[in-house]
Amino acid sequence: MPSPQTPPMDGSAIDPTALRPPIKDAAIERIAPAELRTRLQALREDGYMMLLDLGAVDYPQRVPRFDVVYHLLKMPVAAATPDQIGTPQRYRLLCGVPIENLSLPTITDLWRNADWAEREVFDLFGITFEGHPDLRRIQMPTHWEGHPLRKDYPLRGPAKERSPRPPFANKSNLVAGTPPSGRTAEALQQQVALRQAQDRKEEPKA
Amino acid sequence: MSVGTVSSMPLEPQGSQVLAQDGNAMVLSMGPQHPSTHGVLQIMLEIEGESVVKAEPEIGYLHTGIEKSAENLFWTQAQTVIERMDYLAPESNSLCYALAVEKLLGITDRIPERAQQIRVIVAELTRIASHCVWLGTHGIDLGALSIFFYCFDLRENILDVQEAAGGARMHPNYVRIGGLQADLPDGHVERLDALLKKFPTRMRELRAILQKNPIWQDRTIDVGTVTPEQAVAWGLTGPALRASGIAYDVRKAFPYSGYENYKFDVPTRTEGDAYARFVVRLDEMEQSMRIVQQARDAMKAGPITIDDAKIAPPPKEAIALSMEALIHHFKVVSEGIRVPPGDVYQAIESPRGELGYYVVSDGNNKPFRVRTRPPSLYNLQALKGIAPGNLIADLVVMIGSLDPVFGEVDR
Repeated sequence: MPSPQTPPMDGSAIDPTALRPPIKDAAIERIAPAELRTRLQALREDGYMMLLDLGAVDYPQRVPRFDVVYHLLKMPVAAATPDQIGTPQRYRLLCGVPIENLSLPTITDLWRNADWAEREVFDLFGITFEGHPDLRRIQMPTHWEGHPLRKDYPLRGPAKERSPRPPFANKSNLVAGTPPSGRTAEALQQQVALRQAQDRKEEPKA
Repeated sequence: MSVGTVSSMPLEPQGSQVLAQDGNAMVLSMGPQHPSTHGVLQIMLEIEGESVVKAEPEIGYLHTGIEKSAENLFWTQAQTVIERMDYLAPESNSLCYALAVEKLLGITDRIPERAQQIRVIVAELTRIASHCVWLGTHGIDLGALSIFFYCFDLRENILDVQEAAGGARMHPNYVRIGGLQADLPDGHVERLDALLKKFPTRMRELRAILQKNPIWQDRTIDVGTVTPEQAVAWGLTGPALRASGIAYDVRKAFPYSGYENYKFDVPTRTEGDAYARFVVRLDEMEQSMRIVQQARDAMKAGPITIDDAKIAPPPKEAIALSMEALIHHFKVVSEGIRVPPGDVYQAIESPRGELGYYVVSDGNNKPFRVRTRPPSLYNLQALKGIAPGNLIADLVVMIGSLDPVFGEVDR
C-alpha cells in the first residue's frame, strides 16, 4: 500500500496552514488584527459562546511571522442534554501578527478565560494584548529575559556565565586543584598533607 | 501601612505567610507548598476575616517546557514527553496526540479495529484511575481519610492491569502513532474480568462512605456553585461543566476511536456545586466501566498497528526474516517519521475535560508546534470567579472539586 507521507518540500514548509490537507476539524478563517475584535464579537453573537483555547505559533520565515490562533465552540449557556448539543460547531480564527507590531487587542472583556491564555502568549511569544487587565508573565519567572517558545530561542536557554561558587565550596577544595597524576590515592594524600601544612602556616602564632 | 494589591505580587516563592495587613483586610499567600493545593499552586488571597475577597492563583511553578521539548524531538519521541503532561491520566495525552498526528497523516480510517478497542479500554481505565486519585485526595482535604485507601486500592488494581498491557505503571507509552506498542499479553482478558468483577463492590463502598454522609454533604453542597453561564464563560469542560447542567462530552459530540459504537450515558447534574461535581465523577466511573465491558466483549483477534512500515515500525518477528522490514525499522527509529505539512486541532475527553492539541507540521520529522489546550488550566482559572465571598476552608473544597493537575496546567 502506498504511504500517504509526502517528503518535505525544500526541507520545510514556510506556511503549513496554507498547505493543510482537507481535514474537517473546524471552520477556519484567517483575519487581520484590525478586524479581529469585530469578527470575534460577531461570532459570539452567532452562538460561539465558549472560547476553547488561544495560542500562538511562530513561523520564522513567514510574513507576518506569528499566528495567534483562537478556537471557538458553539455552546448553549443553559442546561442542555447531549441530544440538544449534538455535534457543536468548532471555529478557528488565525490572526497573523507581524514582528514589527507585536500587539493585538485583548478579548478578556468578551471571554473571561482569555486572561491566562493571553498572558501565556505574552510570556512565551512576546505578543502584547492591549487592554489586558493584568499582563505579566505566567509560566516563566517575572524577571526572565526572552520568550522561550519563539523558534530563535535556544532549547537549553541563552548561554550565560556560570554563577560563582559560594565561598564555603571554595574553602573545602584542595588548593592546587586536581594533581597532574590524577585522583589517585597517593596524589590525594600529598594534596592533603600540603593543605594541612598551609593551614598550620596560616594559624596565628600565640 | 497599605494593603498590597494581589496583582502587584511577583511570581516568587513566598510560602504561606501574611504579606500585608490593614485593619481587617490582609493579603495571604497560600502555597505553593500547601498540602491541599494538589501540587505547586500558589493562591494570593485578599481576605477579610475568614472570607475571601479576591483570589488570584499563581501558576508556573511546574513549568517544564514540554511544548518546547516536543518541537525538538521526533514525532514519535515527542509522544513520550507529552504523555507526562497530565501525570494522573497519561494515556489520555498520548492518545490525543496520536489521534492528531494520525489526522495529519490521513490514516485515521486505517487504524485497525482491535487497536481502537484497546485504546478505548486503556483510556477509560485511565479515567477511573485518575478519578480515584481525585476522590482520595479530595477526601483527605476534607478530613475523610479512609476514602483514600479505598480509592488507591482500586487505582492500584487498575494500574496493575495497565502495567500488564503497557509495561509500566505510570507512563507506559502504550498508545503509539498508527496503533499500539504491542498486543495485549496472554491472560489479559482474565485480568480485565477480575477488575470488572471487583469494580461494582468497590464502587458501592465509595458511595456508601461519602455520598450520603452528612458531614461530606455539609462541606460540599452549595460550595463553589457555578451557573451554566459562568461555566461557559470560564471555558469549563468535563465533569465541571456537566455538573452545571451542560452535557457536553467530547466522546459524544466528536466521537473518536470508535466511541460512537458504545452505549453510555453522559451523567449530568444541575446544581453546579462541589457535591454535584463529586456525584458526576462517581457516575462517570460507572459509565467508564460500562464502556470497558462493551469494548472487552467486542474485541476480536487482529492487527494492532497500521500496515504501513513508513509510520509504524514492523513487528520484531518480521525484522528477523525480512531485510526490508529491518531497514524500515531502522529508518523509523533513527530518522523518525515524516508528517505532511498542515495544522489540525484534535480533542478528546480526558478525565478533566476537553484536552486538545493544535498540532502544526511543516513536513519534517519533528513537530513544528504542539499547542495544548489543557482542561486543568481553564478549570483552575475559574477559581478567580467562584472563590470570592467564600470561606478559606471552602476554597480547599473548590480546588479539590475542580481537580487540577499541575503537570498539565504548567506543562
